[in-house]
Amino acid sequence: MLDIAVHITQLLLALGALGSVYRIYKGPSVLDRVISLDVMLIIVASMMIVDMVVNDHQDFILFVVITAVIGFLGAVAIARYVVVRSPEEVAAETSEQDPYPSPPVAPAIPGAAAENEPEAPHDPVSTPRMPGLEPEEDESTSWFSALARSGFTPRRHDAQSADAGAGIGPSAATSKDAGTDAAADPESEHTQDADTAARPDARPDASAAAQKQTQQERQEDRDV
Amino acid sequence: MFDSLDADLILDAVASVLLVLGGLMSLAAGVGLVRLPDLHSRMHAATKPQVLGLLSLLLAAAITWRSWEWVAIVLLAWGLQLLTAPVSAHVVGRSGYRTKHMRRDLLTHDELASAVERISRDIPPSRG
Repeated sequence: MLDIAVHITQLLLALGALGSVYRIYKGPSVLDRVISLDVMLIIVASMMIVDMVVNDHQDFILFVVITAVIGFLGAVAIARYVVVRSPEEVAAETSEQDPYPSPPVAPAIPGAAAENEPEAPHDPVSTPRMPGLEPEEDESTSWFSALARSGFTPRRHDAQSADAGAGIGPSAATSKDAGTDAAADPESEHTQDADTAARPDARPDASAAAQKQTQQERQEDRDV
Repeated sequence: MFDSLDADLILDAVASVLLVLGGLMSLAAGVGLVRLPDLHSRMHAATKPQVLGLLSLLLAAAITWRSWEWVAIVLLAWGLQLLTAPVSAHVVGRSGYRTKHMRRDLLTHDELASAVERISRDIPPSRG
């Protein structure tokens, strides 16, 4: 009778393990996989108990005790990891938007994920933004967000010189300033010549403005 | 009352019933993990073999070993499992609630929603 019960139990345990394996494979979120792995651990311990019943020994009881003691650590660690480090894991529910105020909480982004697929790969452009709470910033990247918040836009050299030419205008003052220092430095004189050579085109083009800009910058560097 | 043969028979019968019961708990966990719709209901299914199934199988093992010392160790193992299973269930359930791995349309009553709403509204300190 005990042999029949053992066979039935092993069959039932195997079916339970199959269900757990299916959920580990299919499970849409990592938390489903975590609880399925817990079930799998318990099923392995149960199979060891059945083996101890069949062969009448007590060799695996230590495994069962240790499993009972430290079996929850993996689930706790992974659950904390999910909360803190992946705020992109958002809701299957697109209509619900209730913000959570406490810091280690994923933001509520409606419509970021598909139904039943909370861990579908998101568009990296649509970064989730938490309403009412600034996201936690990494220290190594906080300088970049501070830079972006300050409104600074890095300009290329052409755009910068075009702005300088437009702002100063005919730039007689700058060329006059250049002329005062140009006698002291042959390199500056050369650029002055190039400037005047480009001048008869009589158009405020980018090249002349760029040369004036570079010359002015060079003089400022020299004054310093 | 019983002679030795009848006692062995009865104890084997009890152990057999407990073994099949523990196996049924694992089967219920497997079926629940496959069939149930969201994380928290799957957690409900997953706790069945952790507590009742393990208790059944450990008692069956202790009965077949016919010794009271192993009953003490078996109850120690089950008590430790009973202590640590709610920890992982609590943490996984909380992170599942916060990351919204659940289906709100299946909830009949969300007891945490009122607390979350009360905190997330910026309440003036007079009501706070």
